[in-house]
Amino acid sequence: MGNLRDVLSPFTAWKHLIETPVTIRNPIGREAADGYRGFHQNDIEKCIGCGSCEVICQNAAIDMVPVSAPVDGDSGLRPKIDYGRCCWCALCVDVCMTGSLTMSNEYTWVDADPDAFRFIPGVDPKPWDDMEKGYRREGARVLTGAERVEMGELPPEARIDNFDEIVVGYTREQAMIEADRCVECGLCVATCPAHMDIPDYIAAIREGDYDLGLQILYETNPFSEVCGRVCTHKCETACAARHEGDPIAIRWLKRHIVDNVSEDRRLEIVGTPQALPTGRKVAIVGAGPAGLTAAYDLARQGHAVTVYEAQDKPGGMMRYGIPEYRLPYDALDRDIAVIAAQGVTIKTGVRIGREIAMDKLRGEFDAVVLSIGLHIGRSTRIPGTEGPGVEAAIDLLARITAGEEVPVPERVVVIGGGNVAMDIARSMARLQKRKHGAVGVTVTALEDFAHFLADREEIEESFDEGIEIVDARGPQEVVRYKSGKRKGAVKGLRTWAVTSIFDGQGRFAPQYDQGDERLHPADMVVEAIGQAADVSILGEDLTEALEWTRGRLAVDPAGRSSEPWLWAAGDAVHGPDVITAVADGHRVAASVGAMLMAMGEVAR
Amino acid sequence: MIRFEPDRSQYPQPGDDGKLEIDLETGKYLKLWHGPNHPGITGNMSVELTLCGDEVVEGKVHVGYLHRGFEKLMERRTFIQVFPIVCRVCVPEPDFNEWCYAQAVEELAGIEAPEMAQWTRTLILEMGRFNSYMMAMGGIGGALGMGVIGQWMTYVRDLMLDRFEEMTGARIYHMFILPGGVRGHLPEGFAGRMEEVLATAERYLADVDKAMFTNAVFKARTKGVGVIDPALFEPYGVTGPNARAGGVAKDLRKDAPYLVYDQLDFEVVTETASDIWARAMVRRRDIDVSIALIRQILAKMPKDGPVMAKLPNVLHWKIPRGETYVAGESSRGEYGYYLVTDGSGYPRRVNVRGPSYTHAMALLEHLIPGTNIADVAALMVSLHTYPPEIER
Amino acid sequence: MKTGKLSQMTSAEEVLETVAEFSREAHSFYTDLVPKVTKNIRYLVEDLARAELAHVRMLSDLVKSPDMRDHLKDAILRPEADRRFSDAVQAPELGDTPDDQQVLQYALAREQVALEEFSELAANTPPGLLHEVFSFLANEETRQKADLEALYYEIVHSGGV
Repeated sequence: MGNLRDVLSPFTAWKHLIETPVTIRNPIGREAADGYRGFHQNDIEKCIGCGSCEVICQNAAIDMVPVSAPVDGDSGLRPKIDYGRCCWCALCVDVCMTGSLTMSNEYTWVDADPDAFRFIPGVDPKPWDDMEKGYRREGARVLTGAERVEMGELPPEARIDNFDEIVVGYTREQAMIEADRCVECGLCVATCPAHMDIPDYIAAIREGDYDLGLQILYETNPFSEVCGRVCTHKCETACAARHEGDPIAIRWLKRHIVDNVSEDRRLEIVGTPQALPTGRKVAIVGAGPAGLTAAYDLARQGHAVTVYEAQDKPGGMMRYGIPEYRLPYDALDRDIAVIAAQGVTIKTGVRIGREIAMDKLRGEFDAVVLSIGLHIGRSTRIPGTEGPGVEAAIDLLARITAGEEVPVPERVVVIGGGNVAMDIARSMARLQKRKHGAVGVTVTALEDFAHFLADREEIEESFDEGIEIVDARGPQEVVRYKSGKRKGAVKGLRTWAVTSIFDGQGRFAPQYDQGDERLHPADMVVEAIGQAADVSILGEDLTEALEWTRGRLAVDPAGRSSEPWLWAAGDAVHGPDVITAVADGHRVAASVGAMLMAMGEVAR
Repeated sequence: MIRFEPDRSQYPQPGDDGKLEIDLETGKYLKLWHGPNHPGITGNMSVELTLCGDEVVEGKVHVGYLHRGFEKLMERRTFIQVFPIVCRVCVPEPDFNEWCYAQAVEELAGIEAPEMAQWTRTLILEMGRFNSYMMAMGGIGGALGMGVIGQWMTYVRDLMLDRFEEMTGARIYHMFILPGGVRGHLPEGFAGRMEEVLATAERYLADVDKAMFTNAVFKARTKGVGVIDPALFEPYGVTGPNARAGGVAKDLRKDAPYLVYDQLDFEVVTETASDIWARAMVRRRDIDVSIALIRQILAKMPKDGPVMAKLPNVLHWKIPRGETYVAGESSRGEYGYYLVTDGSGYPRRVNVRGPSYTHAMALLEHLIPGTNIADVAALMVSLHTYPPEIER
Repeated sequence: MKTGKLSQMTSAEEVLETVAEFSREAHSFYTDLVPKVTKNIRYLVEDLARAELAHVRMLSDLVKSPDMRDHLKDAILRPEADRRFSDAVQAPELGDTPDDQQVLQYALAREQVALEEFSELAANTPPGLLHEVFSFLANEETRQKADLEALYYEIVHSGGV
């Protein structure tokens, strides 16, 4: 029986003859699943050309090719994919820092030209460019770290009555984790004014090789300890990681390297000039970041450099403008010590234009570099600004640094919304806390918070310290007591509300609501609006002889003025921060150095 | 049953070195290349047969047609870049490579994939096993002239590939199990569509039972043919269904539970005859186990939760010095990855233990002498081997 | 002419002449100022002088245009702002060596007066060619004032760099 069943049973297969065939007659045009990994799409506006896709592709199917001019935070490169190599693993999609790279669910593409299958998604138009379906990374990117390691800070109550440094700095473990997030795209290098080799020094942190890290820092920046604390870190706004996550804490990582190399070791690593003395002399006016950077470079080239500084100590705005709680003076001193160790002579307390005329420098030196910064505080010149009780922020900050007695009334109003305004507000708050036991600072800014000039962290920290910040207020008058015992003394600042500050083109065009008038009570008003360079030190003749461009000394791209012996660098010509000044210092030093070399050739 | 009984005195005898002395000049022997281009070969390999009449007196396995140097390639790829390569070590059941590699990396890097990922991985492995068995069923039918079984199984496998496609974004090389977890969650309504596939599969498998397993020809050609002496299991490294067909109740899913197998309810399938029939039957019954497991997993798995563990930046991922061996029960037996790391950003050594290496080479060469030429294909397919895992 | 300004009504011709005079005065004022300021801020005064000269040319072209000729005698209401307008012509108050901020504040004040004058004139004339001319001039002043304000912000409020 069993045997008979074994013979008959197989014939049941015949029932399939009358079933509908399951074969898809024409598979061309069959739609793939919603999440199919088909042909690539790239949102060209969103893509920043960081090249992480190129790096992760194990088939080397992706080449980054130029399609537009590079701008900050966008290399102008876009991925070109070779479908002769691609395996559609979609790691490029998963690693994409902006989420611009995706895949459509299209999978048929017929072309007689084999070269057509190398294409730039989003640039070379394709039928699947706008398809909604296809592989999308599920959720946030996980292949590279998205969240920044939080930086430790002194809590407000511990810092408000002193000038101790607020930022604690990373531990090695923290730095390692933060350094690990870097994808080494180098967008930051292009954006950094000094083009610091950021990915490489971050890599040095990952390797735990702090000596190497320091060496890399010094290749482009002799003020790494300073910049590790107060740099405006434009690099972080270009960082690929800022899309769909926090930018790498590049500034803190830089500081971390310097924090981990002792001062002695630092001098050992940087060393002293290896070039033979050239016998050429260079005078530098102003011992700020631009002047000292130029001095460092020129000294290392073998030239004899003398830096003249009007203040009692070198450092310029880094010392006299930036409060100690952001940049401790000993950190600055350590950077300057390395520069001085190159044989640079720094003469402090010498005001060029007063004690020594520019002409004298011209006679005694082969070249002169003017790096005087912006030490004149602008005034709004609204009614009431003339007279006692109204101060310029920049003067007050310098006097605080110099240890001079400054007026510390119970109520202070600051005009301005930039970092200088925050610096003076927070410095005054500390002094008030010490003297009166309470903070009484109000900052009034023309800009609303959406357009604030000061860094976000400065604003937040100011709030934490009990400082009142009133945005979108236009100062109208410093009101003074008209009679009584306090006649003539400051009573407060009268302001109007600003309804809009910029026009459609983003140009300054303030609109006021005069109905919304306020008097901010104050015993002192501090103006922290703009700053200007004191070009009067040049003297009338030189001023007249030099070429100017829209208020500033005209210099060529290398920083040379219209007078062949004079170069200018730093805030006074380029601005407005330490790292730009450092970059400027390098540029000028290169130009001066080239001229001195040429002089040497001629002499020989 | 009529069996051909040759005159064995005519056969080549072993010489002093123990090897058979085959003198082709005598005209008694015929060399026949079985593959690499032959419908009866399992994938891209070949067996060099020496025939005496229609009996095979010697079979030499030739591999290398598919050699792409995977293990070496992996040493030149970062840990994340190895991920898209591994699946290619085995075409019909690629997911085992993905899981073994991911698991090995996770062990050495000190990462644990989230629970949701563990369940999803188990689901994928069972779906892969199901598909692999579909090919095995179709193959054994095809090898014995029952092409329709192959067509049915291909259809059912295609339906499962549709589920793979919607779940992973690809049909064959899924690349879904990343070190750290899996790439995503199941699509909406997945379980329902999977159930449709399983029901269709069961319908076709019932037909297979009738057309193939209840079939006088199939029985005649498989029962008592290609018997592997269980004593060979140990020395020849025979694992998986090939061993279970000989009564060995060993299954890594039970014996060394990985992923979430310890939370699932299933029995280890065994047969005793250790012949082609028994091996086909073990696989046939194991399909039912897989189907049941897929249903269980879909019912029991968490509905939501993270699918990826926190990874370091994979673009410069370095894994501390170490070594590990990760193995699981694939549709062909023990599948394992031996991974050695040296603290750099690249694997120091990756060794893939594919069960086909022993089954398709040493074991096959041992089993072939004495078989009829017509049974060679069935014997090979019954061992269920995939060449790419032989030549990694 | 001075007394004429005090009456309620005036003619288009007269208004345009007053305006042109305003610009002419300004042009010569800035031209005189150029050598007095230090070289670094001279560009500012030079720019202002150029702008005023362009203004004078534009007005003179306007008066000569055939379309305008028929309307020159049209009587229009004298603007309230006219008084301040005349003041600005008469009383340029700026020290001997003004700095950039003073120059800009002075220029801004002038633009404000001009702007108010033209706006009022535009409002006082019925729709037609004259209305359009004054509206155009008002817009012109608005644009120039916006330019100056942007420059002021750039120089005074953003670090001078």
